[in-house]
Amino acid sequence: MTDKRHSILFWSGFAIVMALLFVSPYVLPPFWQRFLTEVLIWGLLAMSSDLLIGYTGMVSFGHSAFFGLGMYGAAAALLMFTPSLVLALAFGLIGAAVVSAFVAYFSTRLRDIYFAITTLIFSQIFYVIIFTWTDVTGGENGLNFPRPRLGIPGIWSEPFTATTLHWFVLVVVAGSYLILRRITQSPFGMVLQSIRENEPRTRAIGYPVERYKIMAVMLSGLFAGLAGVLYALQNRFAAPDFVFFLISGEAVIFNVMGGIGTLVGPILGAGTFLLLRELLGRIFGENFPYLIPLGFIFIAIIIFMPQGLLGFARRWLNR
Amino acid sequence: MELQSSGGPSAAGRQGEAASVLRTEGLTIRFGGLTALNNVNFEIGRGEIRAIIGPNGAGKSTFFNCLTGVLRPTSGRILFNGEDITGLPPNEISKKGIARSYQITNILPNATTLENVRIAAQSRRHGWSLFRHYTAFGDIMAKAEAVLNSVGLSPKADELACNLSHGEQRNLEIGIALATEPQLLCLDEPTAGMSTAETHDTMELIRGIAKDLTILIVEHDMKVVMELAHRITVLHYGEILAEGTPEEIQSNPRVLEVYLKT
Repeated sequence: MTDKRHSILFWSGFAIVMALLFVSPYVLPPFWQRFLTEVLIWGLLAMSSDLLIGYTGMVSFGHSAFFGLGMYGAAAALLMFTPSLVLALAFGLIGAAVVSAFVAYFSTRLRDIYFAITTLIFSQIFYVIIFTWTDVTGGENGLNFPRPRLGIPGIWSEPFTATTLHWFVLVVVAGSYLILRRITQSPFGMVLQSIRENEPRTRAIGYPVERYKIMAVMLSGLFAGLAGVLYALQNRFAAPDFVFFLISGEAVIFNVMGGIGTLVGPILGAGTFLLLRELLGRIFGENFPYLIPLGFIFIAIIIFMPQGLLGFARRWLNR
Repeated sequence: MELQSSGGPSAAGRQGEAASVLRTEGLTIRFGGLTALNNVNFEIGRGEIRAIIGPNGAGKSTFFNCLTGVLRPTSGRILFNGEDITGLPPNEISKKGIARSYQITNILPNATTLENVRIAAQSRRHGWSLFRHYTAFGDIMAKAEAVLNSVGLSPKADELACNLSHGEQRNLEIGIALATEPQLLCLDEPTAGMSTAETHDTMELIRGIAKDLTILIVEHDMKVVMELAHRITVLHYGEILAEGTPEEIQSNPRVLEVYLKT
């Protein structure tokens, strides 16, 4: 009974948020519309790392590598062939999958801080490769490429507009959310949470913990790569800065701000972080060191809302 | 007991294995200079309740850790149903059919009682299913509920495990182990810290589940040991000091000297 009420509540909430995000291009001025699209993309990156941080108990500082490889994969497809959305997605996802398989295989042998450091080092290795392999990756300057057309191959296609791009991103992010949510509630997802709670015990009841962790890192990397593809589509460029570990750090910050282990929280965290940064820049000017006040806000959130914005809101609503 | 040594360590001893579930041959483990287990030749028959007793530091928990793959023995072999399982990781050993409960309660504290047992039941199948809700697997849910019922925790199914009383958590430990459908259940001080009434209930519980499986139990409570066990093995400084029925052990002068006298 309560389960049913809970699910009605969830789906109506989901429908309302989707409706608001769907109509937003009609309401918002172009700058804020673009901003919102970007929040959704960063939200997807944050959400992908929540699968590891919040559900498996592994903090990854390597998500910039997955994000970046999704981005450069899409760039490769768009530069080598006639620009095609399907190819961009396929190349981006394959790029992210290969890299995350590689990172997962080696890093999951380690735990806690050692895992975090290993993922960080791997992402920096990819950063250096991309930064220095100028002939292929464009090095420091990155790559510029055309945007493909939106459509289903052979059936229908039309050029992306800011509005249709926003909808496309919205559909991909919402779809990813529903898939990730289902994964966290699947038997596999329950094993991940069991690993987070008590790893030796999970092994003792018969689970090959390493294999589950590898799968978790790969899934997480795949969705991070998807976010990279979306970012490439929106901005029509790929740059090594996005493979740098600062991006991974931001993904972790989004998680902590929004509430880890909630999937929605990280999107909220991304939105809050980017909005604060934008507003601080507008109020105090472009050259304002926005990270200083943002840092204080971040610390305040950790102290007063240790479960993040969503966790705090949830508790407040339940009162 | 004489049969055990004449059976020989060769793999050819097939007929002897029908009776014995678990056998160790020359099991030895050293930590640096310390020999925690020294040449332990142990055998337990199917359906038996065997207790292992001994003073602190005798190697009881180390023995369990070897059997369940947490520690790798320095030398010797562990045979389970005649199959060499020495050095397998804990998850493989669990799959073979050995389960254990822990001396220090080892559960998923922030999961419900039901989930603790359900995740253990799920370890046999469906663990790699990604796209269906976990409650959709009726076989696992039914198994989990049956196990909770058998350890008397059904009324607490939706309670978080960390909110259970100590005694209830101890029984949940046994429930988690049972849910993996073991042939051999190793219980590490199942009644530690329990009240007399709780101890009594847990003994009844162990007696009930012993009908279907083999039980190896480490216990300090002599009342529990003497009442439950068919046979007792006494460990002392990592070696088997004596082995026999509760009556034999209670009258064994060497056991009295090192252990029971106090």
